[in-house]
Formats: sequence, structure tokens, C-alpha cells
Amino acid sequence: MGLLSDPSLSTHNKLVDNLAKHVRKVCYAFYTAGVVWFLCLALPEFNHGTYLSENALSPGLVYPEIRIDANRLAVQLLEELQRERKDHQSTTPHAWILAKFNEFGLETHTHNYSLRYPFGGGKEFHGKNIYGILRAPRIGSTEGIVFSAPYRAPSSVHVEISPSVPLLLAFADFARRKNYWAKDLIFLVTEQEQLGMQAWLEAYHDGDKTPDSSNSYLLSGNLPARAGSLQAALNIEVQDLEIDYVDVKIEGLNGKLPNLDMFNLVQRIMAREGVTSGYKQTPRKKRRSSLSNFEQNLRQMLAMLATQSSGVPNGNHGLFHRYRIDALTISAAKRVTNSNVKSNPTSSAVPLLKAIEGIARSLNNLLERFHQSFFFYVIVHNDRYISIGDYMPALVALVACSFIKAYLTWSTLDASAIVLSQETIALKPDTKSLKLSLPYGSVLIYLAVVLLIGYLANVLPLQHYILELPLNAAPLTATILIALSLIGFVLPFVVILPDGGLELLHISLLLIYGCTLIVIGLLNFSLGFFVGVLTVPMVVALNTSTRNSTLRSLARVWTLLLNPLVVIYIIVLVMSFHQFPELTMQQLLLRAATAAMDAAAFALVDSVIYGNWLYFAICTIFLPIWIICWTLALARRRGNEIHQPKLKTN
Amino acid sequence: MDFKFYKLLLLGGAVRLYFSGTSLASLIGNRVEFATPLNSFKRVQEGVFLLQQGIDPYRGDLVHETPLLLKALSGILLNYAQLLPILYILLDLCTGSLLYFLSRRFVEQKLQEQRLERKDYAKDTEELQYSADDNCNISELVLLAYLFNPLTIMSCIGLTSTVLSNLLLAMYLYAMIRRQLLVCLALLAFETVRSLYPVVLIAPLLLLFARHSVSRGIGILMLFATCCLAVVGANFLVMNSWNFLDGTLGFIFYFRDLQPNIGLFWYFFTEMFEHFRTMFLITFQLNATVLYLVPLSIKLRKEPLLLATVLVALMAVFRAYPSLGDVGFYLALLPLWRRCWKFMAHGFVVFTFFLITLSMMGALWHLWIYAGSANANFYFGATLAFCTGQIFLITDLLFAHVKREFCLYNGQKIMIDGEEARILLE
Repeated sequence: MGLLSDPSLSTHNKLVDNLAKHVRKVCYAFYTAGVVWFLCLALPEFNHGTYLSENALSPGLVYPEIRIDANRLAVQLLEELQRERKDHQSTTPHAWILAKFNEFGLETHTHNYSLRYPFGGGKEFHGKNIYGILRAPRIGSTEGIVFSAPYRAPSSVHVEISPSVPLLLAFADFARRKNYWAKDLIFLVTEQEQLGMQAWLEAYHDGDKTPDSSNSYLLSGNLPARAGSLQAALNIEVQDLEIDYVDVKIEGLNGKLPNLDMFNLVQRIMAREGVTSGYKQTPRKKRRSSLSNFEQNLRQMLAMLATQSSGVPNGNHGLFHRYRIDALTISAAKRVTNSNVKSNPTSSAVPLLKAIEGIARSLNNLLERFHQSFFFYVIVHNDRYISIGDYMPALVALVACSFIKAYLTWSTLDASAIVLSQETIALKPDTKSLKLSLPYGSVLIYLAVVLLIGYLANVLPLQHYILELPLNAAPLTATILIALSLIGFVLPFVVILPDGGLELLHISLLLIYGCTLIVIGLLNFSLGFFVGVLTVPMVVALNTSTRNSTLRSLARVWTLLLNPLVVIYIIVLVMSFHQFPELTMQQLLLRAATAAMDAAAFALVDSVIYGNWLYFAICTIFLPIWIICWTLALARRRGNEIHQPKLKTN
Repeated sequence: MDFKFYKLLLLGGAVRLYFSGTSLASLIGNRVEFATPLNSFKRVQEGVFLLQQGIDPYRGDLVHETPLLLKALSGILLNYAQLLPILYILLDLCTGSLLYFLSRRFVEQKLQEQRLERKDYAKDTEELQYSADDNCNISELVLLAYLFNPLTIMSCIGLTSTVLSNLLLAMYLYAMIRRQLLVCLALLAFETVRSLYPVVLIAPLLLLFARHSVSRGIGILMLFATCCLAVVGANFLVMNSWNFLDGTLGFIFYFRDLQPNIGLFWYFFTEMFEHFRTMFLITFQLNATVLYLVPLSIKLRKEPLLLATVLVALMAVFRAYPSLGDVGFYLALLPLWRRCWKFMAHGFVVFTFFLITLSMMGALWHLWIYAGSANANFYFGATLAFCTGQIFLITDLLFAHVKREFCLYNGQKIMIDGEEARILLE
């Protein structure tokens, strides 16, 4: 083909020239191809049925041994716990849980942690987790499995899930009587939602390191006992012992997912025990829908991507992922009392307990960490998935747009410059060193300044002198973000790049944009894909040399609309419109504004405490890219500047 | 002009100094893309410690620096450890300025050569000829490309011993352009004993000093062998044992450490059946050394420096433990061939390749090692693409050179019957 050994002397290729005339068409074709490919993935022909790759799991190889007495114990414990809860309106009944763990003969420990909240003058919060270890009789504590249940105080705003603790205790009591455990079992009760779990995990893995207390916000302390390297974790959130269905939650921190085998295992065992369970499972009434198969699949996919893209875990399991522990949450919903279904309170939780036992015994069989099946997948249906090889082309097609445009712009730079110079000044065919004479230095400095603005947004809100300002977290963060985007907004009016600078900036934007999109897409596909779908058309439409003024102003409006802050505001606005449809427009706008500010502050806190990088990505990557886009949309050149003052003096 | 040279040098030093103070330095020191088993600073530290304890560092499988340098570094590390980054920065600046003087000298020689051959050149080829301005333009570009290339900056602040290799290579090239055979041979012997592959750089020397007489060629080879033996002997005197030979050259040849890097060896040798190891070892090492040596030497017999550039580049691609510092070094030599750039068709594509693959390497390494969700194949994919990009670049340079030579004598536009002719490769 002669790609490497093309003997022609001219580097000018006719094909490239012709393509360059239709850059946008080519790019939009790629864009459409990417989106269409993604939509196609919802068709059953394009996705695959799930299967278990890890033979060691062998789900359902043994008969469950857990019996009705475990259920009786759970019911009895729940009654006791309800009595305790009356005295502990906003705290956790640590003493009771501790006593029960001890009573069942587990090696019981407590874990204290404290949080120094970065805002509001450095308040400190304290918390306490309780965990019991069941030492495996067959091995020397080298591996462990975690079963955790979050505890919520009655004053919590979230759904009550207090039956999870009795269920966990009942299972612990059952597990202690068995001698086949090959891994230590850790039974963990956490409080304060994800904070407790994060603190426990940090203490488990880094507890013996002396913490650098000057700039850490979560002081997780150390644990008195450990159980080797953790292989898997199951988080249990049960609303009632009589359950309607089980929703399996998998999305973790920064969009990480547990191994697909883990999800499949849970699905298999739940199905065998006759528990209705699924990914994003909803109550039975809603499930009967008239939607077509394709539409249902697509909704499921989009719902998964939406949850994943924020990078915020939707359960305590999500925090395990960053320590390479595969984990998921089984969240059981309460059965709405229905006269048709006669339930028997003495055996209602038995299927769930059997399922937990089955999962535990399968995990117990693991010979090595989950590694056989996929870590990158999108679940289309409870038993169908799309693997990374199938969904990546969609993103690659989007990213390809920016690289194709960059290449075509670069290779036609000479030609367009000749046209320009012919039109403006006298003919000056100085083409030989045009690419070398571009103002690389000033463009680099401009890029550095823009990056610095983004970096400031990441660093400033946590500086001491800023924190001392008498402002709450949300307004403070929002003010800094808005101020910095305003600086970015004004920047192209103040700084005007020399000749050729805009073209060079355009090419570097396309390259940087493509690289970031592909890196973000690798780390968190959902975020990368959504950002790509949203912004690629705008980036393709940008053109520094259009003469058409309406097109230009359209591009400017489009760019303004895609400012990261504006996008966040619009997303929050749409969400609050769905949540509170009764509000008037004005109320809605105000409420969305405060909610967006809160969201910014939460994202910052998330990034500091949990290591969520969404805030970092928005500030340090998307904001600078937006500023460059805005500079290009304005497309102010030195030549125009010379003309304008002349007019004024006249 | 001289003022500008010092300004750039100072700026380059300042950038390095700034970054070596940040947390980036230790991060880079641990990145596999920069620090390989051969050049990482950690291993030097280990070797210094073992030396201090009176243990032969080469009996284990950690230290692969030559005894002479290890002794020298241990002297500095034990007494002035905090000055070490500054020393590395100074050495890097030396490399930069050597390349600068090298390019000035090179352009002068080219101009002289052109004066002699001018009458043979075709008419419209001024832009292909070196001009008087190039004297500062090209050397400035070389300096810029060395001092401000992120790859060389990173490998300098990560304290990799690639800095030393680069310095030795730059000294070798400078001595070559000054036609000082003995200095060349000594430097080359030293670098060969350190990292094996530079042995191929004897070819440009042979072309330069012994083009017309075989006996002189044999003499140079003998001299080179003597130099190598002398360096090895000096190393032996330092350690008083021959273990170091297996620890340095043997370690490179037998490829004992399968730690991932940006090269092509590690993945292949992890995946391969063990009983084929010897065969593939020889194949891969041949590929990295002599496979391209003969054809390139024949083709580029008139351009020893271009031959050296291409060999250094091929070495950086195919060697057993390549690091990005090596890549940065040969990239800095490309501006010397500025007059060929007109014919380089893939420059932008290669740049984009580098950008994408380097940013992907970071992400995929994170996913593989820290998150545990990706695996070796993902990372190898990125490094393979990176190597492909480099090969594109080298081939492109070679072809551009051939085309320039052709056009210089035949004119840039060849008309046959009033139409522009298409040139075919046969």
C-alpha cells in the first residue's frame, strides 16, 4: 500500500485535500456512526447472555443448610433492635450489637474514626463501626470475605433498613456453627452511610501507616484485628424481613464495577432460591410495561450509564472497589401488604438467608481473586451484557472526530494560509516554513495559563485563607468556580494571540480534547461517552475562519451553553423539575441554583474524602477545554483589533 | 545568539530544578515508562547500600549499573546526597549544550560540502539546501528539543541513569563530528559495557574513518575491542570479581527481568513457551542490533551522522529495557535533518500517536496495577502502538532523506511531456 514507503515527492495528498473540504460532514458521519452503534447495542443481536467464567464459584452445588430457626432468630433480634431504637433516636445501639456479636462467639472489635469537616470552621465528627471476625477453621487468616450491613438511626432521612443488622446477625450465628469456611468471615456494621465504610476500609488497609494529619480530613485510625486480604464483599440493605424483590447495585466509586462473575453469581443464587432479583429492579406493578424489548434495554443501559457517570457509589459496596475487592449491594425492598399474597412471618426471610448462605459458600470456594470475567461491561438486561470490546467502538468513533479534524486542519494549514494572505495583504508565497513559523511559544503559554485557571479551581476552595471567609461550603465553592469561569470568559477579550495562533490553538484543542476524552472513557466509560455525545458536535462545528456572522454567533451561544457550570445547572434544573413539578418557574430556577451549588460542594467533599475525581475532571480538564473553545468561538484576531481603533479615532 | 543559548540553558535548568522539588520527581522515579530495571535510581541506591555493607551487589538480581559508575555515584550519594538532583540537572544541561555545539559544527560541515557540490544541484532546490541562517536556527531547535522535551525533563528529574547514557552518547556524537577517533572509541566502549546496544555505533565510525581501506577498518575494530577490554578491566579492578559482567551485559542479553516497560520484549517473553526462549532471545537481540546495521550502513554510507541518529533511534525502540528518556534523546537529533522535513509526511500523525499512546499508558497502567480491572494486554496494546509510531517516524526520516537527495540533483518538479511525473519505487 505504500503507507510507509510512498515514493511521491509531494506530501500533498489529493485525497486529504478533498476530504478537508468536507471535514464537518466526515466528522458528523463518524459522530452519527458512534451514536447509532451505541443504540444498536440495545438490540439482542448485539449483546450477549451472561455466563459464569469462574468454575470455582460453582453456584448451587450444595444444598442450603440454613433453616427456619435462623429466621426465628432474625425476627427475635429485630424485635429487640426495635426496642433499642426507641432509646437511640440519632445514635447507633453499639452496646447491643457488640453484645450480640459476643454472644454468638465472634471475635468482636470496635473501630473509632473521626472526620474533620473541611468547611464550617473545622467541625469534628466521630463515628464507630463494629465488626466481628469468624476465623476460618481451615486456614490461617490469609483471606477474608466481608458481609456488611449499614445501620441507620431512626432520625436518618434515608429509607429505614434496620432489619439488615438482625439478618446479618442471624447469618453470623448460622455460619459460626459450620466448619467448612476456608476464608475468614468479617461481619461489619457501619454507621453514617458511606463515611463509616470508607473509614473502616482505610483503617483496614492503611491503618498502620502514621497518618499525615495536617492535610487529611478523615482520620480513620487503626484496626485491632484483621483477616488477611479481602477477596469479596457483600453489602446487605434490607428494608423488611418480608421482601418483595431484591435490587442488585453494582456501580462503585469513579464508575468502577465488580467483576461480572460476582453479579452473575448473585443473580443465579437468587433465582434458585426464588427471590425476584435484578439489576435496577423495580416493583412488580411498574415492571409490566408496554415498552418494546429494545426500548427497555436502552432505558436500562442509559440508567446504568447515568448512575455510573457521576462516579458516586450507589451503596457501601462501591468503596471496596478501589481496594480491588469485588463487592455489590443486595438491597431488598419491603413488600407492600397485599391481601392476595399470604405471607408467613415465621419463614419470610428464609429465601434471602438461603441466598446469602449460597453466595457465601460460593465465595468461600474462590481459589484466587475474581479475574476470569469482565470488569468493563454494561448490563442491558438482568441476564444480558455488553463487553468493553463492543461498546468501546462507540466512544472511539466520537473521539476519532476530533483527531480527524485535527489532522485535516493541520494538513491544509498551508493552503488556507495562502488563500488568506492573498486576500488580505500582498501576495507573499512564504509557504515553506509556515508550519515552523507558527507562534508555538505564545500558544503554549496560553494553554498553561488556561490550565492554571482550572488547577486553581481545584486547589483554591480548600486553602486556609479562603476557608476562613464567613461563607458556607456551597456558596464558597460556587463563588470560586463562577469567578474562575468568568476569568476564563474574559480572557480571550484581553489576550489576543498573534497571527496563526488561533489555528494552532484549534489544533491543540482538538488533540487535547481527543486525548482527555479517550482517557476519561477508559477510566469511566459513562462519563466519557456522555461528555462526548454532548460536546463533540460543538467541537466539530467550531471554525476559526468562518465569515458568516450568524453561524459565528450561533457557535458562540452553543459554546456558552456547554460551559461545565451551565451544563451542571441545566442537569440539576431538569432533575428538580422532575422531582417537584408543582413549583413555579421562578421557584424552580432558584431551587435548582441552590441545589447546583450544593452539588458542587458535595463533589468537592467527595473528591477530598472518598477520592472521587469528578470534581477534579470538571475543574482541571473540562473548564480549561471550555475556555479554549470559547476563545476559538470568539476568534478575535490582531487584524480586527487594528481596524477598530482606527474607526474610533476617525 | 550566544546570549540566547545561555538563556535557554538557564531556563531548561530552572524547569528541571523546579520539577525535581515537586512530588512529581518521586512519581516519575517509580514509573515503568521512565525507570527500567537498568536505569532506575532505586536500584543504584540499593547497589550503593550493598557496596557500603561490603556485599557484592552483582550477586543478587537488583543492581545493573557498572562498578565504575556505581563507585562514583556511591561517593556522591553517601556524602552529598542532596546535591545529586543538581548533578543530574547539570549533566543533562551538558548533554543539551553538547548537542548544540554538535549541530553548529554539523551545519558548518554541511555548508562546506554544499559549496563543493553546488554546481551539481538542480535549480529550484534552495529550500533543500542548508543555508547560513541554519547555523543558529538548527542548533537552537536542537537545544530546544532537548531541553524542553517533557520526556527528557521527566527522565532527568526521575534521576534515571538514562541521563548518563544520553550524556555519553552526546559526547560520542560530538567527538565523531570533531573527527576524534580515540575519544569516540573510548566513549563508545564505556557506553557499550554499560548497555550493550551502543556497540552498533561502531558502524558510523568505520564509515567515517576507514571508508576506503579494509586494514584501517580492522585496526579500528581491534582498537575498539581493546578499549572495551580496558573498560571491563577497569571495572574488574574496582570490584575484584567478574560477577558484574553477568549483572550488566548478561542481564541485558538474557533479559532476566520481565517488568513491563515501553518496549516489545517483556510481553513476548512472558507469553512465550519457556523452551523457545533461547531462540527468541537471539532473534530479538539480533533485531535490536545487527539486523538493520548492514543495509542502513550501505544506504547511508555518505551520512555517518544520519546513520548514527537512525541507529540510536532503532536502539531506543528495540532494546530490551527502553525508557522514554532514550526516545527524548533521539527526538532532539531530528532538527539536524530539518532540510528533509519537507518530505516527512507522517510528522503530525506520529505526534498524535505519541500523545494518545502516552496518555493512554498512564490510564491503562492505573487500571491494570491499581484498579485491577484491566490487564497486561491493554497496557501492551498502548506500548505497541507507541513503538509503531516511533517506527513510522524513523522510516519517514529515512525516506525523506532519500527523497531529498534525489530532488537535490533532479529538481523538485520533474516534468515529462508537460505533466508532473509520478515517481515509482521499484
